[in-house]
Amino acid sequence: MTGPGIKDFLKVISDNGVRSDDSYLTEAAMEIFPDTYAPRWLRACRKLENAGYGAPVLNAYVRYSLDVAQLVGPDRAIALADVVSSVAIKAGRAAAESLSFAALKAAERLDKDQQRFRSWMGLMERFADLAPESVGLVLDKMDELLTKLNVSRLEAWILAGVRSAGTDAERRLAFFSFEDTEADRWLDHEAGAVVLSEMSRELKAYMGALWNIRIPLREPAANAPDHGRRRASFGPGIVRVPSAFPGFRGQQAEDLFRAVVAHIGAHMLYSGPQFPVAELKPVQVVLISLIEDARVEQLAMRDFPGLRRLWVPFHIAQATGSMTAPSLMARLSRALIDPDFKDVDGWITRARKMFYERKDEWEDPLISRQIGGLIGNDMGQMRVQFNAKSYVIEPPYRDDNLGLWDFGEQESPETQEAEQLFDSVNIEEQQDDDDAPPDRERDELEENEEDDTNRMNIDFVEEDGVPVARYPEYDYVTGRSRPEWTTIVEYAPTPGPAHMIDDILEEQAYVVNRIKSLITQAKVSQPQKIQRQAEGDFLDLNASIEAMISRRVGEEPDPNVYGRSERRNRDLSVHVLLDISESTKDKVVGSNNSVLDLERQATALLAHAMSGLGDPFAIAAFSSNRREEVRYHRIKDFGSPYGAVSKSWLAGLQGGFSTRLGAAMRHASEDLKKQLTHRKLLLVVTDGEPSDVDVSDKNYLVEDARHVIHDLAMDGVDVFCVGLDSGGDSYLTRIFGRRNVVQIDRLERLPERLPMLYFRLTA
Amino acid sequence: MPLSDYLIDDEPYYHAVGKEVGHFEAAYADRMPIMLKGPTGCGKTRFVEHMAWKLKKPLVTVSCHEDMTASDLVGRFLLDAEGTVWHDGPLTLAVRHGAICYLDEIVEARQDTTVVIHSLTDDRRILPLEKKNEVLSAHPDFQLVISYNPGYQSVLKDLKESTKQRFGAIDFNYPSADVEAEIIAHESGVDGEIAATLVKIAERSRNLKGHGLEEGASTRMLIHVGQLINRGLPLGEACEIALVLPITDDPDIRSALGSAIAACA
Repeated sequence: MTGPGIKDFLKVISDNGVRSDDSYLTEAAMEIFPDTYAPRWLRACRKLENAGYGAPVLNAYVRYSLDVAQLVGPDRAIALADVVSSVAIKAGRAAAESLSFAALKAAERLDKDQQRFRSWMGLMERFADLAPESVGLVLDKMDELLTKLNVSRLEAWILAGVRSAGTDAERRLAFFSFEDTEADRWLDHEAGAVVLSEMSRELKAYMGALWNIRIPLREPAANAPDHGRRRASFGPGIVRVPSAFPGFRGQQAEDLFRAVVAHIGAHMLYSGPQFPVAELKPVQVVLISLIEDARVEQLAMRDFPGLRRLWVPFHIAQATGSMTAPSLMARLSRALIDPDFKDVDGWITRARKMFYERKDEWEDPLISRQIGGLIGNDMGQMRVQFNAKSYVIEPPYRDDNLGLWDFGEQESPETQEAEQLFDSVNIEEQQDDDDAPPDRERDELEENEEDDTNRMNIDFVEEDGVPVARYPEYDYVTGRSRPEWTTIVEYAPTPGPAHMIDDILEEQAYVVNRIKSLITQAKVSQPQKIQRQAEGDFLDLNASIEAMISRRVGEEPDPNVYGRSERRNRDLSVHVLLDISESTKDKVVGSNNSVLDLERQATALLAHAMSGLGDPFAIAAFSSNRREEVRYHRIKDFGSPYGAVSKSWLAGLQGGFSTRLGAAMRHASEDLKKQLTHRKLLLVVTDGEPSDVDVSDKNYLVEDARHVIHDLAMDGVDVFCVGLDSGGDSYLTRIFGRRNVVQIDRLERLPERLPMLYFRLTA
Repeated sequence: MPLSDYLIDDEPYYHAVGKEVGHFEAAYADRMPIMLKGPTGCGKTRFVEHMAWKLKKPLVTVSCHEDMTASDLVGRFLLDAEGTVWHDGPLTLAVRHGAICYLDEIVEARQDTTVVIHSLTDDRRILPLEKKNEVLSAHPDFQLVISYNPGYQSVLKDLKESTKQRFGAIDFNYPSADVEAEIIAHESGVDGEIAATLVKIAERSRNLKGHGLEEGASTRMLIHVGQLINRGLPLGEACEIALVLPITDDPDIRSALGSAIAACA
């Protein structure tokens, strides 16, 4: 029954002048598609044919689906036709044409596993939905991608690209064509490589512990040349470390990062002032650097012998290596650090001997120049070619040594970078502040109001925001967080008329009065009797009687016969986080006020209540403009007083941009977590669903926010949300949990409800 | 003598770091109240013991804690089968019979507790026992010594200014590397070379003070490490048990510290 079917089909193709090799195809098809499968496959082909995607698409499918069938079974190969069709519709013919070949590669890379192949096809279909313009690019690289990633990691990487570019097709293209270096970074990340962002905190601490050096660690600049990104580098005030070292995994990769910073620390401690480059040839510069590397390592190992165990394993050059310059240099490096390494090469033996003979002079950087100069001449005579452009230093933990050299008049690329970096270093330094010793807290508290406001002003002289921190964001699709995904940019609050806040209090005199009585009540909380104490204000009657009974019967009485009454102290700090996104500009129906106006009034009243109660509190407002700019305005910090300055900032709040709720909550909770109070409450006032311009998936930011709540619960921070969107029930309960949300349906009552809610929450 | 149990018979080992022994003797001559400042585990308590032994005076030590009340220091009426009986607290004991009273980590105690020492630390040198209706004049040998670790106390816990200004102070810090190595070798029994390595390890952790660690590893901690090494544990494991794990729960800092320790030997 198969014969005529195939013949017919092939005839159809021939009629269109697409194929002619009847015999080959028939045979192959017969072999691979026995019995019932053949007609189905033919039907699939015919469907593609009739859909009019053009000959190349059909051709590719016909050619590769046979091989696919051999690897993952005819069912999958036939199903592939539907995927081709759907990709053709969404992403165009070129992508659909690439798909068949990519499918073959995928089938090979996925170990012919039918299940995994099916998920891969599903992923490609979804990808065509999300980023149709980029499908072709990714399909062309499928073979390479799948050597590093499995299907779920591939999905995570694709999503990272889609999420980072959002709705901007140009940016997606840049990502998936690897023009955007982020693509490499995430590829490393998803490939399970150990990446710098995961290690940097530890590395900084390691550098601090070992060398007592504190310096920002950064990834290479985005515009650094390709080979410049593969090795570390250091310059004044900055250390650049590659985001990942391909080929190293797990423990080995972690050790490599440690070896890198240990080596750079050794330079910083033992390398003297920079060497002038002057007239030196590139090969001499490299060799002098090589000796210098060995010299500082030897000195470091005198103080820290354990470093030998860290460094030596990365020296893998063999004595039998070829006689090229890079190979000789790697062998010499090894010979100078590894005493067990045997190399009979004359050049290496001579250099090694020279180096060790001057052991007593190792303290002096000058010997690097001398020895390096001599062996440079030797190498010149050996007529070994050296290409400075393609040279990459080995072993990988060593830095490019640019930091050792003074390039004189011509500015070295490194210093340029260091200057450019000045802004971004800011982030690091501000983060480091978190680690400041506890004394700091005291200092800050002791500053009076005037100083405090001055300091704030200095911090925010410029109108532009200052990036202060990066936070991860949770992707529910992959079930994991992407590190350093969002950047918090703090903006100076715009001062408004401070009297506006006092006016609000005046207008709402009724509420203010109620608050006043509630404050008194809350402060004078019910005293509790604590009984059976060793000492106290009154005799605990029951305990006394028991003690007397014990005495009468001659037993030793229980001495805890006193009681005392104690008032429970309020021990609570509150962080109020206001959503000031674009939608808060809307006027509330039946009122002259906008949502933001009502938020402001409510916050004014709430702040009045909180300062009355003496609870430590902070107020901040947020909005967002893509993940790179989560805008954060500090209205009042925990340490600072609630005075005219805070009031004027509250008065000056203006709405705009979107609502990236999770990132803002992460940032706000950092301050809150540092509070020493027993209870910590984050009070979020929001008027709409979390959203941002670069996010098209409605659930994404909701799930991220939900994840934040979960994390905060672990850290002992309670989160409560006041929803100003009457339709917001579903997502707000999803994020905060049913019991932690209150919906204000009549918005005009918000100013009155919020302080009351606060009393209820904190009673 | 009622406080004979509190006398220290054998010389407690103490290696002077600076002139603190002479300073303390001078202060004791006038019974001046003394405050010992310094990070945890740097030898404050051992120093007091040593001085008590040297001056041949009994030493009453009280470790202060946040639930400590004034009665815990001064004393209280207790019930027994016959009725109520007054029991002197440790401070009263020292005041009555002439001992050095050492209040360890005084800031841990509630502030209303610490004020009971006020009348003892000015020229009055009296302790009113309100409940007992007695005013106790201090024995001529009585001296008050407190310890105070300014580093880790938070804003909430600090001595009142009026308390602080009643004391002379001796500042302690970790000894210099040679001295510290000698102390470790003496106390734990490890040889000088290992002791020197342990000091180098401690420096690594002290570098992280304020940058991930609240406090660097103390001399006491190093002695613990030395003791474990003496029992046959390899250096790395001994450091892990007695230094890295107790000092921090932060995985990044643990790992960094572990790597830095590995580099030391």
